Amino acid sequence: MSNFWYKRQRLVMGVVGVVLFFFVWEALFSWVFELNPFYISKPSLIFAAWGAVIENGQLWSDILVSGRPLAFGFGAAVVVGVAFGVVMGWRARVGYALDPFFTALYASPLVAIAPLVIIYFGVGIAGKAILIFTLCVFPFVFNAYAGVRSVDPLLVNVVRSLGGKEKDLYLKVIVPTVLPFLVAGARYAIGRALVGVLVGEFFAASAGVGYRIAYYGDLYQLDRMFANILTMMVFAVIFTEGIRWAERSAFPWRVGM
Amino acid sequence: MNDSSNVAVAVAPADVAPAGITRKTFFEANESSILGMGFIAAVLAIWEVVPRIFTLSKATQLFFATPSQVMGALYDLFATGEIWPALEFSATAFTVGLLLSIAVALPVGVVLGRSTSMNAMFDPFVTAFNATPRLVFLPIVLIWFGIGMNTVVIIVFIGAVFPLLINTYEGVKNADKLLINVVRSFGAREWKINTLVVLPNSMPYIIAGLRLAIGRAILGIVVAEFFGGTTTGVGVIMVNASGKYQVDLVFAGLVLFMAISLVMTSAVRVLEQRLSRWRPEKVKNF
Repeated sequence: MSNFWYKRQRLVMGVVGVVLFFFVWEALFSWVFELNPFYISKPSLIFAAWGAVIENGQLWSDILVSGRPLAFGFGAAVVVGVAFGVVMGWRARVGYALDPFFTALYASPLVAIAPLVIIYFGVGIAGKAILIFTLCVFPFVFNAYAGVRSVDPLLVNVVRSLGGKEKDLYLKVIVPTVLPFLVAGARYAIGRALVGVLVGEFFAASAGVGYRIAYYGDLYQLDRMFANILTMMVFAVIFTEGIRWAERSAFPWRVGM
Repeated sequence: MNDSSNVAVAVAPADVAPAGITRKTFFEANESSILGMGFIAAVLAIWEVVPRIFTLSKATQLFFATPSQVMGALYDLFATGEIWPALEFSATAFTVGLLLSIAVALPVGVVLGRSTSMNAMFDPFVTAFNATPRLVFLPIVLIWFGIGMNTVVIIVFIGAVFPLLINTYEGVKNADKLLINVVRSFGAREWKINTLVVLPNSMPYIIAGLRLAIGRAILGIVVAEFFGGTTTGVGVIMVNASGKYQVDLVFAGLVLFMAISLVMTSAVRVLEQRLSRWRPEKVKNF
């Protein structure tokens, strides 16, 4: 009961914080300072701009343009990353061989390959998808690797001794162990994927949410720029908090892994 | 609990005995590092050898650089001294931005960790900003701070501050309540409580945050220099080189960033292990 109230209290205070923030921002540039539209915008203008880009359909088409390479790159990263991670965890020697190589790549600022990716794969959807893939494959590799290694051999033996089939082994032991790791990996990966979207679109694009941010920034149309930044933030929060929520509700015993 | 420990004891001898009795060969003892380094060497060797065996078409050659060419480009960068102003610029921006983020994240993290109401109010902002790639703010930061050092510092700062802030806050929240109460019973004020108990208790978290922050800071350097934040810097060298299809130079910049990143993160990892040796629980990463 008190826990329930505690959660609701946090929510109320959070909403108050956000409302207060926008109110103070609006008030500062309505009554205290004169608004210089080439330097800053205010919430009322930003939300009006947001309404405008929603109404003329630009927002939806930009989201689709940004979303496609994201879906391709991220999807490929899941498949390839999990495959590598599982093999690395399954065969110790493969793990030994690949671990330092992948660690070096994972620890280095991989967005630095963006110019090369553009050179090799062009400015289209392929280049962006490959950039996103490169950025977000490693969280899946390492989390699948860690997940497979943490499968309890005792449980494997128990299932085998009690006459479990290969299918039971997978469904009752391996998948439940590895899946939470993968979801945690997805949470890291989605953030890196969004960086990939932005870098790809800042470098070379003619549409997309990231492109609009740079474009309207160049044009000093700050209300529209902030509107697109808000779009980006909304999606970022939906993705990461959605995954966090999935983690909490599906595997409550592993929160915060 | 009892059952599982019994089982573990029953299983252990079968697992442990062979390793204790048989003598390991050199390969067996160092298997993981031999395989790891061997794989990296093999990748580089194949990469180096492929263009010598297969003649690449002219177009492919334009986009291809072997490791030896990359090392040559890297050597030239240092030999001609072209790299030093760029490296100095990037390093300064990195250091100033990171110090700034530490200076902001530690006090704010302590406040957010100690006060539930402040924490509740700021939580949406921390969540939203941490989830969003800080690169979205580059255009506005460019408008506010102009092209040059300030913009890069700010981009580094907003990249590095959130992991540090979240980890500080997480560490403060998990500080030993009993110790805090003891110190308070002896009449310590909030400042003393924080310096005596809370900060030392949360140090492993803060160091873990620092490791993440360094990664984000280098990312910030790269992107800010890529997208017109400056006219000098290692990232600028890379972008200019890619415009001229000097692939070896682009790779040289990449190698440089990788090396810096690996050195810094492993230095922090050593620090992390040293500082968290005494505590049993695992430090969380975000």
